[in-house]
Amino acid sequence: MDIPYTVTARPDTGLYNAKVGIWLFLASEVMLFGGLFSSYIFLRVGADYPWPVHELGVTLGFVNTLVLIGSSVTVLLAWASLKLRKIAQFRLYMIITVLCALTFMVIKSFEYRAKFAHYSVTLTDGTILTGHLPHGYELEFGDVKALNLTVAGKTSAVDADPVSYVLPYVKGDVPKFMTESGEEITLDAASFAKIKAEARAKAEAKAEADGLKEVPQWTVKLLPASPITFSVAPSKLLAKPVPGAKAISFRDGTTVEGVMLNDKMILEVDGVDLRGTPDKEKSLAWNEHYLGTAWKKAFIEQRDHATTEFKEKYGDSRDPNKSATQQKHLFYLHIKSATPEASHGEGGHKAEAHAPAEHGDAHASHHPEVQLERKDVHFFSNYTPKLNSFYAIYFTLTGLHGLHVVAGALVLAYFVIFNGRMLREDPERLANRVEVGGLFWHFVDLVWIFLFPLLYLL
Amino acid sequence: MADSPEEIKKSVRKILWIGGILAVCTVLTVWLSTVELATHGQNIVVGMILATIKAALVALIFMHLNHEAKLIYKFLAFTLVFVTALFLLFYWSSLDPLVFKDFYAH
Repeated sequence: MDIPYTVTARPDTGLYNAKVGIWLFLASEVMLFGGLFSSYIFLRVGADYPWPVHELGVTLGFVNTLVLIGSSVTVLLAWASLKLRKIAQFRLYMIITVLCALTFMVIKSFEYRAKFAHYSVTLTDGTILTGHLPHGYELEFGDVKALNLTVAGKTSAVDADPVSYVLPYVKGDVPKFMTESGEEITLDAASFAKIKAEARAKAEAKAEADGLKEVPQWTVKLLPASPITFSVAPSKLLAKPVPGAKAISFRDGTTVEGVMLNDKMILEVDGVDLRGTPDKEKSLAWNEHYLGTAWKKAFIEQRDHATTEFKEKYGDSRDPNKSATQQKHLFYLHIKSATPEASHGEGGHKAEAHAPAEHGDAHASHHPEVQLERKDVHFFSNYTPKLNSFYAIYFTLTGLHGLHVVAGALVLAYFVIFNGRMLREDPERLANRVEVGGLFWHFVDLVWIFLFPLLYLL
Repeated sequence: MADSPEEIKKSVRKILWIGGILAVCTVLTVWLSTVELATHGQNIVVGMILATIKAALVALIFMHLNHEAKLIYKFLAFTLVFVTALFLLFYWSSLDPLVFKDFYAH
């Protein structure tokens, strides 16, 4: 069957059909991104924290902008070459466009990777320490007295599965347990299946004896036959334990009674953000067992220097309180070395208003290492959507845009790889396809034109 | 839409020029973001004006919206109404009595 109006224009619309289709699709895309940009405005205006300005790597964003502009030009050149029947040039420009898309995504992946490895820790006084966790972050919970396994009734969603959710975090050898009947067991899939079956039978018997409509959940207590210590990341628990917790709950509902041996977080600090700290000179960050007075001195020097510099530059014509960048100059200490003295050697206290360093582990040892006590930590997260609403909208917008880049590149690659026959037999039709694919590609570029300044610069 | 070989060749030069202008505008956007205007809000306004100019160049020249069929303008006019409403949501929300600045004044 011949599809009508693939080359010539339809008399009533004055357009070939695919063009009508792509513009309708682009109109829906405008609504999709329009909704997200509108959300961005709401989140920014409603943010109860200093909205990050110049926090993302501007260089990477800038290069990506140029890459996308370049690819918009090459896709048009490919279309023009095809119209002029310069086939080799057409192929070359299409390949360059797809390579540009690939470059964009590779750069984006580097950017994302740096974010995932970078952490932000909010202390209880509002101070934010940023940096890396050189050894990850795991709680050590020991002196275990009992494991309480909750075997679900028929309607319960959470069912004990200690073999998958608890035992992987035991330090050392596979532990042995004593059952309530005094039998010593090694907890594995087979022994747990037996325990579970017995618990179910008891629960069903109780339901029958008490005339219950539903089988109740049944708790099985296991006592350790030898000392057990757990080493577990907080994300593997149902909830982050409070300081000095006497019990922790795993994600299958299993509760372990014992003692918190170590819940300190070792952080290699690369930045101190005091914009949310009421008394900046009494911040917890300056405690001797954290960064100490030497870094406090460096902060005060930087702040005073930034104040003088701003005054010299703008006099009274600018209000530093209304300058987001100046607030960062004043209250964000960018740490680039292990000691303040070394920092002076690297260029002194000249205001470090840049983004928190985005780097790999290679530079990790160049930062002071602090052991944060759990009681001082209010919240911590790596730079993912859960950190704050800026990163939530950043990942949503750039992630969705990235998907569009991939989809556009696949379509353009398809034209150049699989449309060889159309190229020989009906090049005008292929030119129209490339034009339609190009229109989508320009739209992707157009979205980025707004994303780059909004997320990276302003 | 350029269809004759001469027109296409002419449009290629225009495409390259516009590509260059877009690159220059990008450099300008980055530089302007480092300049302290009276308030940060002014920086945002200037940045968005530049971004809109760039977007207009892409839409008008690269996407040929400077000489398209009427039907496409009708689609876009329809879309524009709804997108404008989306951006006006922010203004309308400020009329909500719960966030109205004098609501708790008395």
